[in-house]
Amino acid sequence: MRTLLCSVCRSGLTPLIGILLGTSVLSAHHSFAAQYDADKPVTLTGTVVRIEWTNPHFHFYVDVKDDKGAVTQWAFEGYPPNMLVRQGWKKDVSLKPGMTVTVQGWRARVEPNLVAAREVTFADGSKLTSGPPAGTGGQ
Amino acid sequence: MAIAVAVACLTGTPSAQSPTKAKPAPRSADGKPDLSGIWIATGALRLMAGEAEVAAARQSDIDEGRPAPRTEPPPYKPEAEKQRQYFLDRRGIDDPMARCLISGVPRISFRPLPFQIIQMPGQMVFLYETHHAFRVIPTDGRPHPEDMEPSYLGDSVALWEGDTLVVDVTGFNTKTWLIGVGTVHSEKLRVTERYTRDSYNTIRYQVMMDDPEVFTKPWNAEEILRLRPGERIREYECIENNEDLQRIEKLLQNESVFIRRPPNE
Repeated sequence: MRTLLCSVCRSGLTPLIGILLGTSVLSAHHSFAAQYDADKPVTLTGTVVRIEWTNPHFHFYVDVKDDKGAVTQWAFEGYPPNMLVRQGWKKDVSLKPGMTVTVQGWRARVEPNLVAAREVTFADGSKLTSGPPAGTGGQ
Repeated sequence: MAIAVAVACLTGTPSAQSPTKAKPAPRSADGKPDLSGIWIATGALRLMAGEAEVAAARQSDIDEGRPAPRTEPPPYKPEAEKQRQYFLDRRGIDDPMARCLISGVPRISFRPLPFQIIQMPGQMVFLYETHHAFRVIPTDGRPHPEDMEPSYLGDSVALWEGDTLVVDVTGFNTKTWLIGVGTVHSEKLRVTERYTRDSYNTIRYQVMMDDPEVFTKPWNAEEILRLRPGERIREYECIENNEDLQRIEKLLQNESVFIRRPPNE
């Protein structure tokens, strides 16, 4: 049993130990937990308006239509360019104005239309990781 | 159950399986292990490359009989622990990194951006993608300089102990966190890093943080660094468009929005 437990541990629970000991080392997103609320997941579909391919985060803006046809512009924040290219992104190719995308992420605590974007799904069904999971950096 | 598993793992257990032989570490002309290459901490691999690569890496540890890294809880004195809790309750909003300040040692080793080690006679060069940081570490036996001023990365000198590179780091300022949120320290901090390339693909990274101002005893942490063949160090200019700064200022005007409260409050 003891050996089995340690096999489990070695195969994937080591980060759990770090969390148990209160020393979470992941910190990809600056103060994620202060700025975004992990209890407010959101998935939105709309049309890409603008992209800022910048450090330390990239931003993109999407017009989202509600049931009554009213359009609200949402801002999304994600990884910097060096991380995006490692997830398979290409500047000016992967994401362009006019594209329809579905974005999954978590809402900001204060700004009503700001989201930390975790994943973007494109019209052909393909997906790209756009940011870290909730909670990294502030837990 | 999770705690029981974690505790069982921390107590140390030999693997029942016979390990497969890992590809050995390369050696430099002087016979020492060659640490040259591009590396990333296993915990950071999750963000950089995804869960599948982390699982594969951990499976290779099992197959090759590599013990899991162990990190102790930080042995803070009560006053310093109170400070750490303060920063944890504020969910990391005070993180120096959010203001694009350079991470210190050892936090910089755990970042989800890779770093490159270049080994040469008499010195090692560490190039970090994060913050364009670098360390030039003499390995020729020279002491720390006499004119050190407190700095983010401190001053490093190293010597080989057998096949392990032992780096002595001192001369820190107090503007960095050690590993996680709120892991404060004083200018008396002294860090000892041990780099052991125990296979071609891995470095066992052991770090001891000694600071009599904040700790009751030295704090020990461990991680496995993974070689990233085909990777290169890219640019990361943190200050370019850091909207966090304005957002943090706004949040600080209404702290109740983000401060963590005990569940029963």
